[in-house]
Amino acid sequence: MSKTLMRFTGVGGQGVLLAGEIFAAAKIKTGGYGLKTATYTSQVRGGPTVVDIQLDDKEIYYPYANDGEISFMLSVAQVSYNSFKDGVQKGGTIVIDPNLVKPTDEDRKIWNIYEIPIITIAKEEVGNVITQSVVALAIANTMMNAIDKDILIETMLSKVPAKVHDVNKVAYSLGEKYAKEAMAK
Amino acid sequence: MATREIISTGNELAAIAGVDAGCTFFGGYPLTPSSEVMHVISDLLPKVGGTCIQMEDEIAAICAVIGAGMAGKRTMTGTSGPGMSLKAENLGLAQMAEVPLVCVNVMRGGPSTGLPTRVSQGDILQSKNPSHGDYKSITLCAGTLAECYTETVRAFNIADRFMQPVIVLLDETIGHMHGKAELPTLEEVKAGIVPRKKFDGPAEEYFPYECEHDEPAVLNPMFEGYRYHFTGLHHDKNGFPTEEIETCRKLIQRLEDKVALHEEELESYEEFMMDDAEVMIIAYGSVSLAAKESIRHLRADGIKAGLFRPITIWPSPAKKIKEHTDKIEKVLVVELNIGQFHSEVQRASSRLDIDGLFKVNGRPISPYEIVNKVKEL
Repeated sequence: MSKTLMRFTGVGGQGVLLAGEIFAAAKIKTGGYGLKTATYTSQVRGGPTVVDIQLDDKEIYYPYANDGEISFMLSVAQVSYNSFKDGVQKGGTIVIDPNLVKPTDEDRKIWNIYEIPIITIAKEEVGNVITQSVVALAIANTMMNAIDKDILIETMLSKVPAKVHDVNKVAYSLGEKYAKEAMAK
Repeated sequence: MATREIISTGNELAAIAGVDAGCTFFGGYPLTPSSEVMHVISDLLPKVGGTCIQMEDEIAAICAVIGAGMAGKRTMTGTSGPGMSLKAENLGLAQMAEVPLVCVNVMRGGPSTGLPTRVSQGDILQSKNPSHGDYKSITLCAGTLAECYTETVRAFNIADRFMQPVIVLLDETIGHMHGKAELPTLEEVKAGIVPRKKFDGPAEEYFPYECEHDEPAVLNPMFEGYRYHFTGLHHDKNGFPTEEIETCRKLIQRLEDKVALHEEELESYEEFMMDDAEVMIIAYGSVSLAAKESIRHLRADGIKAGLFRPITIWPSPAKKIKEHTDKIEKVLVVELNIGQFHSEVQRASSRLDIDGLFKVNGRPISPYEIVNKVKEL
């Protein structure tokens, strides 16, 4: 597999950091290189947050994703979407939560934009809003086919407390299901 | 050589390194972007019988660390630029009284409160002379995740060897980036610990500051029967204040010479694709990662670029820099400040035509910016 560059954006406190750590750790488990960097503002809760995830078979030096090279972005906040969308390469994939992010018609011509209500899925179908990062993880991996699913789930479970393993497994399955449905449309 | 793989962040690796290197006391005050150093070590230290204390501010934190150092402990604190400014006076005290300690500074934008969550390398000159007066600072700078660990370990051994503070510079990027680090085994780290010297003769013959002109003081732990006076004033062999002309001169000259005459023990740098380099990029910390990536691109375009990366920043590897700058015409210093190490490269090379690529807006320098700048040279 060649290099995969992904970007998760949201606002501080939404838990977008964890998904990046899981991706990086899972890639390293497969013998490759994974790196996660995050940028946030001094407004920790509510400020725009961006997480760059790089997965590669060869050593990664520069830890940030270069603007224009990102093939996948997921966004759950308008402010972050506006700030960071231009880093996505033309024709790249952007997943947004339609309740929180409204792309312009122009945007839809530049990128493949999928609308998946990530927060609502986590809150109402999984029953725990904190699982949104795992829903997002599943969507990203399903669309990008970045990492072996079993390794990714195993890594994810190693990073969350045992008592919430089941709920996170449900979150992963739902994310995967919605991603497949969105792509089939 | 056996290694172990840890997936972690730079800040966490610095904290783990402290514990592995035998640190048993951390005094701190959390400060973005260094807070995880304290967060992690506050969890680890009690498990090995150590102590982590959150003091009321950064000044109290360094004072607590100096006290624990006097009691013979390996000690550590962690902070960022604003905290370094507050610690400055007491870093001077530790230089004067010759108390070993390790101070991790995860650099963020400054001056003052600056850009708390964003990356910078604006503390290079501050780390050379945090306090007033003459002394020779020792500063190490991690350029990879693994070095956040190995340089912190090295800092403890250097602090005990030279009996003075050692600053470990990380920056926000390297402190927070999360990935794989290949580390030496714990056994190897433990085997490499060289504790500070101790005087074991009769107590009445113990004069901690009576030492050779280029050697550090021998401070036995307090409360073990060896008594000395502790002060920031110029002092005699027993530590008592004095204004005696020769004693004062010799003391300060010794603080300089104990490091200056042993720089070869401290020198550390990395050369990346330098063998046939026609362009030399000088970068350190996280910027060196962008530089390495840029060299991949430049080489693919037929430009023979290489990287020289100082790991020990102070004292700087000036002789090695000059060796290269005497041969290589095109030299570019890339850093996240307005030329703080650039001026050192000018000094070391005796050249005023050293180029620079600087940034001070809290954003990283991308590999492409370096590529473009090199092509302009």
